[in-house]
Amino acid sequence: MPEGSILIVDDDAFVRTLLRDMLSSQGYALVEAENGRAALALVGPPPNLVLLDLLMPQMSGMEALGQIRDRWPSARVLVITSMDSERLLEEAMEAGAAGYITKPFHPMEIASAVEKALAA
Amino acid sequence: MAEYWIGDAEGRVLGPVSLDVVQDLVNTGRLTQITRASRDGQSWGPPNVFPEVMTLLLNAPAPEALLQSERQEAARVREQLRTMQGRPPHEIFRLERNASVDAYRNAFFKLVKRFYPDRVRAQAHPDLRKAYADAFQFLSRLMVHIERELDAGGPIRPLPTIRAVPPPPPLEDEPLTPTTLTPLMKTRPIAVVPRSPTPPSRPLPAAPPHQGRYSYQPHEFIGFERRDDRVEVTVRVTARNSGMFTEHPLANLKQGGVFLACGKSLPLGTLVDVVFRFDAERREVRSRGRVIVEHTGGDPTKPHGFGVRFITLVEQDRSFMQQFVERAAQF
Repeated sequence: MPEGSILIVDDDAFVRTLLRDMLSSQGYALVEAENGRAALALVGPPPNLVLLDLLMPQMSGMEALGQIRDRWPSARVLVITSMDSERLLEEAMEAGAAGYITKPFHPMEIASAVEKALAA
Repeated sequence: MAEYWIGDAEGRVLGPVSLDVVQDLVNTGRLTQITRASRDGQSWGPPNVFPEVMTLLLNAPAPEALLQSERQEAARVREQLRTMQGRPPHEIFRLERNASVDAYRNAFFKLVKRFYPDRVRAQAHPDLRKAYADAFQFLSRLMVHIERELDAGGPIRPLPTIRAVPPPPPLEDEPLTPTTLTPLMKTRPIAVVPRSPTPPSRPLPAAPPHQGRYSYQPHEFIGFERRDDRVEVTVRVTARNSGMFTEHPLANLKQGGVFLACGKSLPLGTLVDVVFRFDAERREVRSRGRVIVEHTGGDPTKPHGFGVRFITLVEQDRSFMQQFVERAAQF
């Protein structure tokens, strides 16, 4: 079974549910937050990986990305977004994202990306 | 580089990003409803307070220009599809001939998403919708074919011609169970008409065999639904109306769905977020699905309503619902 804790940050409850269902069945420990602010309010050990939406209420993913990198330097961040502008994704990578997955995503794509990100 | 925050009608925020990103998103139709903007993420104003943002919005393509550009895009996609159909798979995905299945999958995901049906705006030119659907279907079939060929030891032979999928058999429904639907979205309200009491149950058709594989059809891809095209319904589930999970031959829990009998139907393909409220159990189950069966009332022998196939349903919730149905059947 894979090891690793994953924080899912997405304002879409159904996306969070799907990711939780998919990744928990593979043995990962999951924590969820509905926006950047809620993610940064979490207490507990740092996650190994953060799956971060970019377009969210209250605190955007780009804002959260910088603060997550400051707070949990060891955590890798994968951006998940439907805003598939190359320029936006470049800016997300410059801000510290380890990679990105564009929406819509397929379960196999997520599984593979998570495995690679945690192994890196 | 100047930084901007922008907000949409749903209160979501994107930023800080450069003006180039905003321009890119506006021009490609990814951002259509900018309701506010900011230069620091703290103080916000309407877009017209920021002339540079307003200029981008005013210069966004007009509807007529969009339609014209969509026709041209449709022609490009059709040409691309013709080219792909004549090439071996490794060339389509720009891979080595002996690439692994993982490499094929990664390349497939990158390519197929360009043609994802929901990327087309609701009012898009029908040619573009059709071209995207055809390209998506071709690539999905090709990926399934590649997996089979590599599983069998390879090499990958040409994709065989696939016959059109036959239409589903005609439905033979009985009146279904009372279901209470409460519209949550103002944009797509659903009127509620309670149905007749539960009829006697009948044997369920056997579920199709699970292949343990993905088909890579659009419904397996998540996270890009148009929010303005989604209907939310709340269903109060009791033992008396639990037949909604069992009695329809296509839309039933064993096939990953439900039939919601109510006063109105919904068009096939409509995205539906369903909240099932099991009041007696003090439990709520949420799922997203698509309408796969619509009964508009034209046939008086069929119940008015719509059948949904779930896209997302947590296994624990599915299990709970199955147990609920089994308990209800004992009453």
